[in-house]
Amino acid sequence: MIRNVLKDWKSRSNKYERLWLLAKIEFKLRYYENKLGLLWALLKPLMDIAIYYVAFKVILKTDIPAFASYLFIGLVFWIFFVESTTGTIQILNTKKYLYEYSNMNKLEIYISTLFSNSIGFLFNLSMFFLFYHLFEPQANPISYNNLWVLVLFMNLFILSLGCSLILSNLYIIAKDINQIWMVFISFLFFLSPIFYKLTSFKEALPELVYGNPIAGVIINARRVMMDGIAPDFELLAFDFGYAIFLLLVGIILLNKLGAKAAEKL
Amino acid sequence: MEDTIAIKARNISKTFHISEDSHNTVKHRLFNLFNPPRKKDVEAVKMMNFEINKGECVGLIGRNGCGKSTLVRLLAGVYPTDTGFVNINGTTLLMNLGVGMSHELTARENIYVSASVLGMKIKDVDAIFDRIVGFAELEGFIDTKIKFFSSGMVARLGFSIAVNAGASIMFLDEIFAVGDMKFQEKAIKVFESSWIEGKTVILVSHSMDVIKKYCSRAGYMKHGELIYLGETEKAIQMYLKDNQ
Repeated sequence: MIRNVLKDWKSRSNKYERLWLLAKIEFKLRYYENKLGLLWALLKPLMDIAIYYVAFKVILKTDIPAFASYLFIGLVFWIFFVESTTGTIQILNTKKYLYEYSNMNKLEIYISTLFSNSIGFLFNLSMFFLFYHLFEPQANPISYNNLWVLVLFMNLFILSLGCSLILSNLYIIAKDINQIWMVFISFLFFLSPIFYKLTSFKEALPELVYGNPIAGVIINARRVMMDGIAPDFELLAFDFGYAIFLLLVGIILLNKLGAKAAEKL
Repeated sequence: MEDTIAIKARNISKTFHISEDSHNTVKHRLFNLFNPPRKKDVEAVKMMNFEINKGECVGLIGRNGCGKSTLVRLLAGVYPTDTGFVNINGTTLLMNLGVGMSHELTARENIYVSASVLGMKIKDVDAIFDRIVGFAELEGFIDTKIKFFSSGMVARLGFSIAVNAGASIMFLDEIFAVGDMKFQEKAIKVFESSWIEGKTVILVSHSMDVIKKYCSRAGYMKHGELIYLGETEKAIQMYLKDNQ
């Protein structure tokens, strides 16, 4: 593996440069080619936080401490997942121009799109970090454990890439996968501990802490970013297992169905 | 694979399954579980074997619908083959009325993306950027999205990228039909200059003059079969005979 990377670098391959170029252009297209682009990326979680804050804190009077930050970190992770899956179902159709005339590896198209989403994610994560440590009165101090967030993001990235590959390749043979996924993902949203109190979530749906691949990522993200403690390693290993399994399924589908994308779409 | 061979095709074939009604949604599939779609098989490319050497210019001729374009797509790695395999030694570029470009991007972005897909580094694209724009005669429209271009402008841009960036193996499918007369002359001039030197080219054309002039070998196809691959002159004769 490392040898291959070095070999690639030595042969002056333009692969990394290309991934970055495609990601940059994708990012620019996504946010209306506006200089304020990054602010648009931030606006989505902010709006969501405002809605859930009113619903759960003001009306339902939830007693979760630092609730705005609690929502913020959960939504930053959730939004990356949604954008990288729902937003890429038709990727083989919209990015057809990239593989229709050359033997470019289709996996690069996915990775560059997810890189583009990562720019938004990292920006939002830094905004969370500033918000939490500057404005949250009950904030815990900065800790080395905060760095675990990078591992969690890697987990989320692999998970999203796997789901994205599966969905977009199924799209080739089933065009209505989009609608089905929309229903599924709103289901998943309410079965994830985004605005629920963790103890009541664990009490009511203990299976889903392990059964829902995104739940563990969000739980661990709060542990490392808000509580300043190490992640729950068992949960982390479990979620990495999920992500890698889905990625493998996705790659198999890409080779089976995706290979025919140029003629079927 | 030996270093002198650019493309090696072994036992390749391709059949398209064309269904009359579209069963491409989950709903459709569920409601028609016991009513499978009627399928029609079209054998676009029948079993064939051949090798193309590096630096060769090979022509491909045959009547409409004989499978030339499908064969070219198989060789370029755009379509997967049903049987056998194609070994490609290098980057490929398939060109028919332009290369792959996104209408949502500007001319500048398209140039960078296309050239990068063809294996160029950003630094190298910077160096030839002005040449690409100049050749396509698109100065003044560099930062305009190409969806606002006329079809001729898009075609010129595509041609210019292909000419200046290029790939080591190029499949040119009827490329001399691009642009107005002035641009066509320019295109032919490029072709006559050193552009294709050292590159492997597979040229699909209905113009026998073009094939005769540039190709060292030619293949003649009929009903998906590669009937002959060898001397250009002989392939052309077979094609002309078929047209009578």
